[in-house]
Amino acid sequence: MVEAYKPNDLKEALELLAFNDCTIFAGGTDLMVKRKRWSGLVPSFEKPVMFISQLQELREVTEDNGMLTIGAACTLSELIDNELIPEHFKTVFRQMASPGIRNIATIGGNICNASPAGESLPLLYALDAEVVLQSSCRKVELPIAEFVQGVGKTLLKSGEMVTAIKVPKSSFTSITYRKVGTRKSTALSKLSFIGLAASDEEGLQDVRLAFGAVAPTVVRSRDAEEDIIDMLKLGSLDISQIIDDYSTLIKPISDQRSTALYRKKACIRLLVDFIINSLAREVVR
Amino acid sequence: MRDSISKPITRVDAADKLSGAACYIGDMRLEDMLYAKTLRAAEPRAKLISIEYPELPEGYFVVDKRDVPGENRVKMLIDDQPFFAEEVVNYIGEPIALIVGKDKEVINKLLEDIKVEYERLQPILCIDNITAPPIYGENDSFADYSLNKGDLQKARAGAAYVYEGIYETGYQEQFYMEPQGVIAEFKEGKVSIYGSIQCPYYVKNAVVSCLGSAPEDVRIVQAATGGAFGGKEDYPSLLAGQAACAAIKAGKPVCLLLDRNEDLEATTKRHPAKITLKSYIDESCRILGLEADIALDAGAYAGISGVVLQRAMFAAAGVYNIENLSIRGKAIATNKAVSGAFRGFGSPQAFFAIEMHMEHAAKAIGIDPLQYKLSNLVKQGDRSTTNGILRDKILLPEMVDRVLEMSGFTEKRKSFKTERAVGALKGIGLSMFFHGCGFTGNGEQDHIKAKVRLTKDIHDRVEILIANVEMGQGVQTTMRKIAAAAMELPIDSIIFANPDTDRVPDSGPTVASRTTVIVGKLVYDAALKLKEKWQAGAASEVEEQYKYPQGFEWDNDSFSGDAYTNYSWGVNAVEVELDPITYESTIKGVWTVFDIGNPIDDRLVRGQIDGGIVQGLGYASMEVMENLQGRFRQRTSTDYIIPTAMDIPEIKSELMCEPFKYGPYGAKGLGELTLVGAPIAYALAVENALSINIDTLPVRPEHLMEVAADGNGY
Repeated sequence: MVEAYKPNDLKEALELLAFNDCTIFAGGTDLMVKRKRWSGLVPSFEKPVMFISQLQELREVTEDNGMLTIGAACTLSELIDNELIPEHFKTVFRQMASPGIRNIATIGGNICNASPAGESLPLLYALDAEVVLQSSCRKVELPIAEFVQGVGKTLLKSGEMVTAIKVPKSSFTSITYRKVGTRKSTALSKLSFIGLAASDEEGLQDVRLAFGAVAPTVVRSRDAEEDIIDMLKLGSLDISQIIDDYSTLIKPISDQRSTALYRKKACIRLLVDFIINSLAREVVR
Repeated sequence: MRDSISKPITRVDAADKLSGAACYIGDMRLEDMLYAKTLRAAEPRAKLISIEYPELPEGYFVVDKRDVPGENRVKMLIDDQPFFAEEVVNYIGEPIALIVGKDKEVINKLLEDIKVEYERLQPILCIDNITAPPIYGENDSFADYSLNKGDLQKARAGAAYVYEGIYETGYQEQFYMEPQGVIAEFKEGKVSIYGSIQCPYYVKNAVVSCLGSAPEDVRIVQAATGGAFGGKEDYPSLLAGQAACAAIKAGKPVCLLLDRNEDLEATTKRHPAKITLKSYIDESCRILGLEADIALDAGAYAGISGVVLQRAMFAAAGVYNIENLSIRGKAIATNKAVSGAFRGFGSPQAFFAIEMHMEHAAKAIGIDPLQYKLSNLVKQGDRSTTNGILRDKILLPEMVDRVLEMSGFTEKRKSFKTERAVGALKGIGLSMFFHGCGFTGNGEQDHIKAKVRLTKDIHDRVEILIANVEMGQGVQTTMRKIAAAAMELPIDSIIFANPDTDRVPDSGPTVASRTTVIVGKLVYDAALKLKEKWQAGAASEVEEQYKYPQGFEWDNDSFSGDAYTNYSWGVNAVEVELDPITYESTIKGVWTVFDIGNPIDDRLVRGQIDGGIVQGLGYASMEVMENLQGRFRQRTSTDYIIPTAMDIPEIKSELMCEPFKYGPYGAKGLGELTLVGAPIAYALAVENALSINIDTLPVRPEHLMEVAADGNGY
């Protein structure tokens, strides 16, 4: 048996964390599955467990000065129901797991699990989200692409916890999200793609493209995006150049869910479709 | 035409199952009960050099081959499978020993500390080009049959067209909601087994042989069973023998209940198949002859593969009247989990092959596939693949018409063509199929010889005593309905408890779509007999035994005659739309017409249809199970994908009834038929949407991307 803590507020939680190396438990939908044992046996945790889903400070969504702050322990269902959350976030959340899991799984948990197939990640990468890390003595913000280091690896240190995710509010004129899963519900993704574009009367201003489950971490390249913006602005769209750029970044594997070839082809086809059918349209606007 | 018996009533087991009162193996706690967990082979093929067990605390036991008092072979058709591995292991997951004790934590720890030393042998992992030494016999086949009808030479000589194709189907896991499990108890020299099972007497025979005990010293009781689909036909015999040995050794009841992922990896699955068909067709597009070669991947032990192979062979010509046939079949031994029974039992593989073959042959000749199929349909009075006479009226033409109408097939084929031209990948497919109900060949009359008993007590309550089990299909309800209707009694005066072999005669296993048509008829006949000698307030008893209907004949050596006494029929249509970028499919519609004779309960029939269709569509589209170097890649419930409600649209189904003279109220078999046609209609719909030929199940988007995506590098 391990010790379990259930702090009453964030301050208490951070103080406990300062002296105890804990496994932080929000919804538990990944932690419990990883520790699934012979039916009838209690899952065994290597470290003391700290439950955080009761911490009100971690369950709030606020908007301030164009910055959306999402409490790390907000469940996916809560976010789907929250008025401050933009529709394109909800599109992503609604396709995750099943209703039962969405009712307890949290956005912070999905980030900290750092799975290549973590479905909130392409969205958060594309939006330049920052992860708020807190310990009893400091509070730092890290870009999500920096926070997530690899498969199951993050920069979270002992004594720290993710308390919130901050997303700069921006508006997009084209939004495409595609999860390619193993079935239509309760599925992990074979791959996912998000494409965002913003344009105004002067033409295309921004493009964001991110791919999930096709490399150890989310694939996003600001350089490639800027090249695309330039190409479109100059009217010299070179699709094969774009495909080449992304082909070197997208390095999927074959596994029990899909094949490397399929993942790669599907990603490239989604990318090309987005460029031709969404970006090109943005340019003409 | 439908009888009043078809009017649905509330399932008798509904309340218990909805409220959680039903008692499954996982709910049972016998006094002093111990738990068992299995030490499983980690190599696909290896000699067991040594096994080093840790020191066991008091009250903990190792149970292995040394603890089998009788034969260390599971009694089945060929007795080759040991309860516990002996000198070699033949598949990853094969049981070597049980660790038995009170505390699961301790058992887990003991299991971790066991050291098994293997000497690897070259495994056989596919059914082509086998180079390793055989696992079984000289040619590595558990069964190798051939079947001839007419004269294929004549067909060859007269053929204007010859068409050949190879069709492959994959594994399918039954994925019953409740994993496999048994509890064994040893008291005063007698072993009792409580189990989640389909076939109490198969289990009994296996345990008797395992223990070397007298039949009266073994008793099998069916616990509430949470689904089976064939998966609990043969495998529980293995578990029951193991648990019985453990209970005897420990002197306490032992529960052996598999975990979901353990069950997924180690228990039986549907046979993967590779089927080669070659048809000989004349100028007027009549099929003169068919050559078939069927290879089934049987896994490491024989199990029931020989019978699965027979069913596949007898279905090789589909619903078509082909006078000259040459069918070869092999069940090949491989170092993988044992392939076993699963709803359809060889026929989903065979029907997939012939239906796709017919479609592709017609396309190659340049004629309309549907017309080609219809013009070759088998009809009343024609001969079956085994030269049996198809005695009853075959409603297929009417059924096809109705499905065409329900689905709007013809118009959709036209309009989809136009839509495809502008990029919408829509398609619709239609399949025709049958299922021979009851045991194949001489099973019912020579092997099973089903017997049923009805008893009446002094309160005029009638108890049905049969060995068939409720496993979700509704037999507790249908048998009561049949008996009550025959005796004109209210339904609640009929008792039907879960079978206990000390109380019920052997009415045979709950398999082969036989329970309603064969056992139900015996219950009906017994009920009439009981009614005839009815004396209010007096106890009495009647028995009925299966009699092979007059005029039918079967020769098992030449596989000739009536392979089945009755056939159920089906026509299915499925509509799909594929994503033009990712080739993910969405099923837009499913339409079915079945002829299952007279339905005993419309709602239960509907349940079987919906369930069979969903299972069939899963088989066709997403249920991928690959084996790499002897290990299944999809071996957890997260990775083995079955359909959810979101994946299936509303299923529109209707019945047409050609009653069977020897079935209760004209009923025929139902359970398996419902799975057979949907995978084919699905594959044909995808074919239609992409204008390609499909010859492999499951149809994965990964495959479609390879064959259908544009050639421009992405």
